[in-house]
Amino acid sequence: MENQEEHQAEGVGRPGRPGRPGSNPEAVTARIRARFGDASVRDGNAVGCESVIAERDALLPFMTFLRDDPELTFDYLADVTAVDRLKLDEAVRFAVVYQLYSYKHNRRFSVSIPVPEADPRIQSVVSVWPGANWLEREVYDMYGIVFEGHPDLRRILMPDDFGSYPLRKDYPLHGKGERDNFVF
Amino acid sequence: MGLEDQLQENVMTTKVDAMVGWARKNSLWPMPFGTACCAIELMATLASRFDLARFGAEAIRFSPRQSDLLVVSGRVSIKMMPVLKKIYDQMPEPKWVISMGACASSGGVFNTYTLVQGVDQYIPVDVYIPGCPPRPENVIQALMKIQEKVAQAKAN
Repeated sequence: MENQEEHQAEGVGRPGRPGRPGSNPEAVTARIRARFGDASVRDGNAVGCESVIAERDALLPFMTFLRDDPELTFDYLADVTAVDRLKLDEAVRFAVVYQLYSYKHNRRFSVSIPVPEADPRIQSVVSVWPGANWLEREVYDMYGIVFEGHPDLRRILMPDDFGSYPLRKDYPLHGKGERDNFVF
Repeated sequence: MGLEDQLQENVMTTKVDAMVGWARKNSLWPMPFGTACCAIELMATLASRFDLARFGAEAIRFSPRQSDLLVVSGRVSIKMMPVLKKIYDQMPEPKWVISMGACASSGGVFNTYTLVQGVDQYIPVDVYIPGCPPRPENVIQALMKIQEKVAQAKAN
């Protein structure tokens, strides 16, 4: 109980399910802004959870802060995925999305990092959440986004010699002949 | 005055091919290659309600080297096809193959980049079972078709 009162005093809401009274959706983004400044983040539009869009340059300090800050404590990385916004009206083609959860505060949070097509790189967060290992491999396999610093960045679903990134929107559903011309 | 008249009912004469075929068809050893929901129906076929033991094919062995009937039941991706080919190659002759369900036979609804559009592109198939998934009755009929084919095979 003492912890909760402290959170309220700091402007961070009590534990609660997202969208419920007490979850205080703006608290997390406010806390991030207080640490990294207004320019570093902007609000996202994820449905049902709090969301923020950040820059990829300082990803590791950003994620480490989300994990270690006592008022945020996002100790569980639920998922890493990516979005190909090729046909959407977005300046940057890809976005890597991290779904976070805090056991301590029972709160979900979503971080979206734009990644340009010409330079599809982003830092690996395996050093922050070891569970990111296979999740990042899947994003690499499906979208061709390279996670720098990943300990074992190989394809995880498709065969090792598969030449394409099948979840990219410009990749045809029936493939480019791989299903008829594979070697074994 | 043939041979049978002299031997009377003590001995039955037949051809080697027919006798070996009769023995083989009533003692099939299936190798299940279950990758999807068809495998569940295959398991149901083997269990007590449908009882594939009535056809002498209840001895499922998960080693291809002890099997003579490969049942491909489920989707096969391009990453899985080399595994299936290796399993088929490991089975001793003579051997037969059932392609169970729409996915193994034609790719089914998964007309996508990663799925083999019919395993018969890479291994010979004797009997196809339509359905998504087929019911155990279809599996039993396929097995009876295989038995007909086995009975007609040369013993060599």
